[in-house]
Amino acid sequence: MTRDWWKHLILILGVIVVIAPFYMMVSYSFKSPGEIDRGEGGFFGRQELMIDPRCVALRDPSRDDIAAAADRFPGQSERQIRDALMAEAEVECSMHPVVFNYSKAFTEAPLLRYLLNGVIVTVSIFLLQVVVALPAAYALAKLKFWGREAVFGLVLFCLLIPVHAIALPLYILLAKLGLTNTYAALVVPWTISAFGTFLMRQFFMTVPDDLIDAARMDGMGEFAIVWRVMLPTAIPALLAFAIFSIVAHWNDYFWPRIVVTGNRDLFTPPLGLREFKGDGDGSFFGPMMATATVIVTPLIVAFLIAQKRFIEGITLSGMK
Amino acid sequence: MAGLNIENLTKRFDDVEVLKGVSLDVADGEFVSLVGPSGCGKSTLLRIIAGLEEQTSGDIKIADRSVAGLRAADRNLSMVFQSYALYPHLSVAENIAVPLRMRRLTATQRLPLVGRLMPGARIQADTISQDILTAAERLEIAHLLDRKPGQLSGGQRQRVALGRALVRDPAAFLLDEPLSNLDAKLRVQTRVEIAQLHRSLNATFIYVTHDQVEAMTMSDRIAVMMGGRILQCDTPEAVYDDPDTIEVAEFIGSPKINILPLTYGTDGQLSLFEQGLGLRGTGRIDGAVSLGLRPEALHLATENAVLRGTVAHSENLGSEVFVQVDIPGLENRVTLRATPSQRAFLRVGAPVSLGFDALAALVFDGNGHRVRGIQVAPRSATEVA
Ligand SMILES: Nc1ncnc2c1ncn2[C@@H]1O[C@H](COP(=O)(O)OP(=O)(O)OP(=O)(O)O)[C@@H](O)[C@H]1O
Ligand SMILES: [Mg+2]
Repeated sequence: MTRDWWKHLILILGVIVVIAPFYMMVSYSFKSPGEIDRGEGGFFGRQELMIDPRCVALRDPSRDDIAAAADRFPGQSERQIRDALMAEAEVECSMHPVVFNYSKAFTEAPLLRYLLNGVIVTVSIFLLQVVVALPAAYALAKLKFWGREAVFGLVLFCLLIPVHAIALPLYILLAKLGLTNTYAALVVPWTISAFGTFLMRQFFMTVPDDLIDAARMDGMGEFAIVWRVMLPTAIPALLAFAIFSIVAHWNDYFWPRIVVTGNRDLFTPPLGLREFKGDGDGSFFGPMMATATVIVTPLIVAFLIAQKRFIEGITLSGMK
Repeated sequence: MAGLNIENLTKRFDDVEVLKGVSLDVADGEFVSLVGPSGCGKSTLLRIIAGLEEQTSGDIKIADRSVAGLRAADRNLSMVFQSYALYPHLSVAENIAVPLRMRRLTATQRLPLVGRLMPGARIQADTISQDILTAAERLEIAHLLDRKPGQLSGGQRQRVALGRALVRDPAAFLLDEPLSNLDAKLRVQTRVEIAQLHRSLNATFIYVTHDQVEAMTMSDRIAVMMGGRILQCDTPEAVYDDPDTIEVAEFIGSPKINILPLTYGTDGQLSLFEQGLGLRGTGRIDGAVSLGLRPEALHLATENAVLRGTVAHSENLGSEVFVQVDIPGLENRVTLRATPSQRAFLRVGAPVSLGFDALAALVFDGNGHRVRGIQVAPRSATEVA
C-alpha cells in the first residue's frame, strides 16, 4: 500500500482531470449568472432568490394593463401604478437559480423532444447495427468461404477510416437521395458498424465450434444459430458494443449538425445545446449547463446499470 | 432406427489426405466403435457421417438412402460431443427441448412470447415437456431440469448431452469420445449405462473412442482405424484374438502384445533364437517374420525354455500382476501376466523362464500382415516350453 502511493497519486490526478469538467457542469447548473461570472458560491451556489430579467421584461405593463389595474390602486398616478405592477412582476419572476436553470432548460428549447429524438436515433442505430454486424461477425468467425480473410481485412481497414473523411461524400449522397433533414439521414449511415463486426467476430472466435455443430445437429439453420445461440452467449460483448455505440451516437454533434439543417423537430440533444449559445447577453451558462446535465444523465444511469456486465464484456470472458 | 453404409469415403484437407477410402456397414441396432490413435481421422469420419463436414469422395447411405448433399439437420442423426456442447444460456430442460422444438414447432410457434399463442403450440409444448421428462427420468437427471449447464458437474453435463441426443428418435446415435472428460470411476459407470441404453433403445450407435477398453466392453463390433483407414472391423473377441495385422494386435490389448522376432526356415519351421517352436508355416512368408504373444499367453515355466531372462519390473493390479522381463537378445521387454500368488518368484532381478501357449501364438509377415494356417506340431500341441 505505502509503496504504491505514487500509483494512487497518479490515479487521483487522472480522476481530477476527468471529473473536473463534470463538476463544473453540474455546479454551474445550480448557480445564478452572477455567481457564475464571479466564480463564487461553492458547488451549490447560495441559492438566493434571483430575478429573471427576461420574465420581468415580458411583463412590462402596457397602457391598457395600467388602465385595467387602475381599480386596484385607487387614487394613484399612472406612474405609481406602473411601478407597483413592475414590483409585482419582479416578485412573480423571482426564483432560486437551480429552478431557473432547469426550467429554462426545458422551456427555452423543446428539450424533451430532443431527448426523444436522441432515443429514437441511438436505439435505431444500435438495433440495425446488431442486425447487420452479428450475422457478418458469425460468418467471419465461423463459416469457411473463399476470400474470408480478405473480407476481414476490409473490415479492419474500415476501422481506420475517420468519419470526417467520408462525411462530405455521404452528405452529398444523402442530399441527392433527398434524405437530408430526415431520421434516415441520422440513422442510415451508421447502420453498418465495422467496429461492431470486429468486436463481435473476436468474441465469436472464442465460442467453441462444437456448440455450433450441436446446434446444426439439433436442426438449426445458420440464421437460427446466430440469433438463438451466438446472440445469447455474446450478451456481455454485445453490451460492451451497445455502450460504445450508444455513447458515440447520443453525444454526436458533428453528424446531426451536418444533415439536420433547420428542422428543429429533428434536433438531437447535443444540437439542442446550441440554443443556449450566448446571443450577446451571454448569461445563459446556467441553463446551458442544466441542459448538458440532463443530456448526460441517461448515459450515466445506463452505464451504472450495465457496469458489471460491461466490464465482463470488455474482457471477453463471457464463456468458460 | 436404421442401418448405415459408408462406401469408399475419402477426405482431404488441403493437401493432407485424412481419410483414405473408408468403407463400413453398420447394421440396424448395432453398436460399432471406432477406435484408433489420436489423429487417425475418427472424428473426421463421424463428422462426415453427421453432415457437419463434406467428404471429398465416396457415399454414405442411411437406411439405404444416400444422404449426399443433405444438411446435418435433415439426416436425422443425433450426436454427443466430447465437450458436451450444451447451450450455456438455456436450462437443462430447454437444452433437451431444443431438438424437439426445432423439429416439431413451426417457425411462428418458436417465436418468443407470441409463439405460445399460435394454434397448436400448446399441445406441442405439452408433448415436448412430456418427452423431456421421460428422457430425463431415463438418465436420472429429472431433478436438474431447472439448472443451467454452468451449475452442473461434468458427469451431469454429460448426461444432459445424452438426454438431448436421445430425446428424439434419430436414425442413429453418433458419439465422439463422450466419456473422455470424466474421471475414471464415472467413466466405468457411464460406460455400463450407455451399453444398457443401447440395449433398451435398440438403436444404432457409432461410438468414437481412443480407449480400447471402452470399445471392447461396449461394442458389437470394433472398427480399428489407423492412418485414415479401417484396418479391421469385427467383434471385440475377433479383433483381440484374431487380429488381421500387427498394428491391430498392438493397438488392442493392454498391456501391449509382445512382438518377438522369428526366423522362417526353409523347411517351414518357425524358430525363435535358433530354437524350433514346433510351429510350421505353409507356403511363402515375405520379409521378417514376427511372433505376437499376449501377456496372458505367457506363463512361468520350470524347465529350460526358449525365453529366459530376469524380472525388470512388476505391476501389481491386485487381481493380476504384470511382469516385465528382460530377455537377452531382445530389444523390448516381454510382458507376462501372472497371478498374485506367483509374486514370490517374481521379485525384480529374479531369473525366470517363460513358456507360451502355441495355439495363442500370432504370426505376422514382414509387412505386418497376419500369417494364417500355422500348423502346431503334435509334440507341443498346446504348449511351448
Ligand atoms: N478442419 C481441418 N483442417 C485441416 N486438417 C484437419 C481438420 N480437421 C482435422 N484435421 C486433421 O485431420 C486429422 C484427423 O483428425 P481427427 O480429428 O479426425 O482425428 P481423431 O482421430 O478424431 O483424433 P483424436 O482421437 O485426437 O480426436 C488430423 O491430423 C487433423 O490435424
Ligand atoms: Mg477426435
